[in-house]
Amino acid sequence: MMVAWKLLSHLLCFAGIVLVLLRGFPGRRRTVATCASAGFALGVAGALTLLRLLPGEPAFGIIRDVVGGSFLLLWGVSVAAIYLSTGRGLPTGWLQRSLERSLPAGCCALVAGLMAGAVSACKLPAGDPVAPALLLLAAAALAWAAWRLEKMVPESFAVSPAGLATGVVALLLFSSSALIRLDLFSPLTMKVMKFAHDFVHQFFESMLIPDHLFIQTYLWGYIGLLFGKEIGFWGALVILFTPVVLVLLAINLERLPSVAHIRQGAQRRRLLAQAIGARRRRQLVPACSLLIIAASVYRSLYPSVEYWDPKPVPISASAAGDVFIPLKGEVDLQDGRLHKYLFKQGGNEVRFFVLMTPAGKFTVDLDACAICKPDGYGQAEGTVICYYCKTLIPLETVGRPGGCNPVPIPFQVKKDGVHIDGLTLSNTWGSTVQATSRVKEGGK
Amino acid sequence: MPVATIETCALTRSYGDICALKPIDLLVPEGEWLSVMGHSGSGKSTLMNLVGGLDRPSGGSLKVGGQDLLALSEDGLARFRREFVGIIFQQHHLVPYLTAVENVMLAQYFHSVPDEAEARSALERVGLGHRLKNRPGELSGGEQQRVCIARAIINSPKLLLGDEPTGNLDHKSTLMIMDLLKELRAEERFTVIMVTHNQEVAAWGDRTIYLDDGILVRDELTGA
Repeated sequence: MMVAWKLLSHLLCFAGIVLVLLRGFPGRRRTVATCASAGFALGVAGALTLLRLLPGEPAFGIIRDVVGGSFLLLWGVSVAAIYLSTGRGLPTGWLQRSLERSLPAGCCALVAGLMAGAVSACKLPAGDPVAPALLLLAAAALAWAAWRLEKMVPESFAVSPAGLATGVVALLLFSSSALIRLDLFSPLTMKVMKFAHDFVHQFFESMLIPDHLFIQTYLWGYIGLLFGKEIGFWGALVILFTPVVLVLLAINLERLPSVAHIRQGAQRRRLLAQAIGARRRRQLVPACSLLIIAASVYRSLYPSVEYWDPKPVPISASAAGDVFIPLKGEVDLQDGRLHKYLFKQGGNEVRFFVLMTPAGKFTVDLDACAICKPDGYGQAEGTVICYYCKTLIPLETVGRPGGCNPVPIPFQVKKDGVHIDGLTLSNTWGSTVQATSRVKEGGK
Repeated sequence: MPVATIETCALTRSYGDICALKPIDLLVPEGEWLSVMGHSGSGKSTLMNLVGGLDRPSGGSLKVGGQDLLALSEDGLARFRREFVGIIFQQHHLVPYLTAVENVMLAQYFHSVPDEAEARSALERVGLGHRLKNRPGELSGGEQQRVCIARAIINSPKLLLGDEPTGNLDHKSTLMIMDLLKELRAEERFTVIMVTHNQEVAAWGDRTIYLDDGILVRDELTGA
């Protein structure tokens, strides 16, 4: 029951995709419905195979990249649409003609169905042989329901090719945002943030701006804004929404038919009104896509997944400076979950965690990375997530240094438990995290 | 033989126990000017409302421009009124805070899209080129009625209905309005149904029918 509930949004997205495709290729309804359903089945089978062959991050990475590719395609379509709306000639007649044929319509439906199926399959519980079959049955039923529903929608509600692409990609983004490992918004946020960060550094270096105290105190207050996560958030929003806005704009800029030759005013105005009405109705799908993308951003920011984030347990060092955590104490260190600790020494507080990775090896890391503010990490769906920049770090790679990975700490595992040097903990926190934190706060 | 614009067969309209229109058979050819006369409460306005799609009959059949009005949905009836009918009322029903040209554009808006140049030209056609920016309160009764005519013809209706359009106008204004309507009909070739109490106004039509207590009692050719 829980699985069905979790898959519901994916299935509804698939039904929405079928609905948009059916309306986008009105002369090829049967082909579109069949190919979309077949594509969904192929997508489920493909994703399950991929997850079995490449367990962990690689499989999710491939599926996420495919969805990201469709978003890039939408960017291309939107730019082409806005270019065409200016009235400059592009030989698009062949495109219009080919869209009316069965083969392109079927291919589009197959690819869209394939992606929807692959995303949905990632939500299936591992090792359950019945769930995929039930998923396919439900998808077939919903495709049929979309078919019936589309027949009830008035013919005047047409979907332009750009609108079709917008609707399909928006629904795919929404579907993928349900899984934190397939979500595109958070990685995009991080990429934008990183780009802004690198750009500012490069700019300073290329301009030979000195690292002077006078500049630091005043100028860094403003430059700090470019290093914050807000720049990533707003930048990602612009990147996500711009193609849809461009498509809306392109439809709005479409030329109205020439009516100057019609003598009777009422007839002339009626034709104009019909054209304006048709144009408005074509904007319906892109306008809905804006809302769907907004919903996917919201789902990315406030995921329904509950992160495992235990309260840090206060811990102190022995007289010799050794921090000892027993394997089987209040918590079981070998349960594969994040266990956080708070170590206090000389007025300094250090947060760190101990985790047993899926490979069965322990790792001890600071509850912070060397880049972001030390907001800490949570654990969900085979990953830990940096609360500051929302970067997902697969459990397999926790313990490796660099990037947004938690800063690893040297430790020893003995029979009784994990031993960490208290001084190393304090020094590492002080040398990496506190320094980073000061930059993020606006100082340096 | 001209195509019938209006075709009724045993058309009736009752309001509870009151039968406002008893079975009426009527045929109005395309382009005809039909005057409808009768005492107050004789069913003139009821007939006009039925023909204009403003009301639904209680029985019989009613075809206007080949469309069976009884078979039309509310939306269909609204579309019929919008595209097929122009109405001139005795009370003008102009929007008081809009100028003359804006009142005409309002009719365009509900029909399709507004076009100010066309609205101006329609007002110039009815002789109000100098009153475009005046509000109804700043116009005489005759001028207001001319705005109504411009509003009624702006969407090129096939059927123009007039419910006592000259009822509150003086003799001079009445003649001016009737002259204007005659001229417009010659140009636009729409069918006219004019409800009136005034024998002189009725005489402008091609044909006059007389109603008495909901019954068609007389049907005669007039010829102005």
